[in-house]
Amino acid sequence: MDSIVIGHLRESVALLPKEDLAPVDEFYRRLFELAPEVRPMFKPEMAPQAKKFSDMLAWMIGHLEHPHELSREMRELGARHGGYGVKIDHYAPVGSALIWMFQRTLGDRFTAEMEEAWLEAYAFLSFEAERGSLEAAPTGTCQ
Amino acid sequence: MSLDTAIVNHHLDQALSSPLFRNAERQSRFLRFVVDAALQFPEAAIKEFEIGVAVYDRRTDYDPRTDPIVRVEAARLRARLREYYEVTPPERVRIDIPKGRYVPLFIPVDGAHAHAVSDLSILVPPFRCLSSDPGDQNFCDGLTEEVLHKLAQVPRLRVITESVAAWLEQREGPKPRYLLEASIRRAGAQIRLTLHLMELTGGGSTQFSNVYQATTNDIFATQERLAEEIRADLSAALHIGNAGRESVN
Repeated sequence: MDSIVIGHLRESVALLPKEDLAPVDEFYRRLFELAPEVRPMFKPEMAPQAKKFSDMLAWMIGHLEHPHELSREMRELGARHGGYGVKIDHYAPVGSALIWMFQRTLGDRFTAEMEEAWLEAYAFLSFEAERGSLEAAPTGTCQ
Repeated sequence: MSLDTAIVNHHLDQALSSPLFRNAERQSRFLRFVVDAALQFPEAAIKEFEIGVAVYDRRTDYDPRTDPIVRVEAARLRARLREYYEVTPPERVRIDIPKGRYVPLFIPVDGAHAHAVSDLSILVPPFRCLSSDPGDQNFCDGLTEEVLHKLAQVPRLRVITESVAAWLEQREGPKPRYLLEASIRRAGAQIRLTLHLMELTGGGSTQFSNVYQATTNDIFATQERLAEEIRADLSAALHIGNAGRESVN
């Protein structure tokens, strides 16, 4: 990710309301609408999960200049997700819900350049998560 | 060089049966859909809406502006194709889906060229930082990324990161021919980078080595300048690309 992409990612996150998990709630609501089969992978009470997601987003935004660390974190996350039953095809609705969250929350302030930056970032991050899942899979295949 | 449909379809089948695509069902369908459409209707554009309906089971009243699943998956598919070609250099044709469109390109690859590509593979592990200062480690990581970026633009050079090397190892894929090792030391604002290019298939013999010096006043500018010098020197050492130091970007 170059500095322009990183700038768009940071700007979009900076526009989200502070100390407010409503956008994340919107993300999960949309995710479960797009992929209802993933709902049982989460606990019924979603508030702690929303906080985790928000913390993870903040951590990623703080580490965009450190792709090795991002990669390591995403692989660990992917390895855990593989254990919960996440499949490669589930990464599509997650990415879609992520873009939706920004669209819904920021409206016109979410520019085409910001979306492009998130598409590039998500392709990288989700691919690293897939790799983590593959490396952790005992059979050598990523489900 | 013209490509016939059979060659493209054969290549597509090979790609889709690889481990990278085998479990990625929707992305495999996405790739097959756009390749089939481009082969059958070479002049026609492929619309995001059509992919949404045909591959992602969207209803015909779906609005791609508010449902970006095809754009998300296109970005991921491009990354998957890049990864596939790093692991498996194409022999006759390469499929590319340029950014901003969904119509794939079928790029002919001549056999000799494909062989040269596989012969010019270089493994670039993260540069070693000979200091415990976290700032220096960040500089090292950033410089590794910048060098990877520059080398990726050198024609015919196949750049392999450490993670891809592990992937290849797992699948008993082709081993890289060269290894680029670098370490960085710092004294005050002075940086000294020592670089070695070794030919792994030649028993690890050193093909090129150099020492580079810089200051850390402007970290990004320093990383970019060092990466450009390294790119130019390696291009010259490997007799490839345009070795001029200001010719890339």
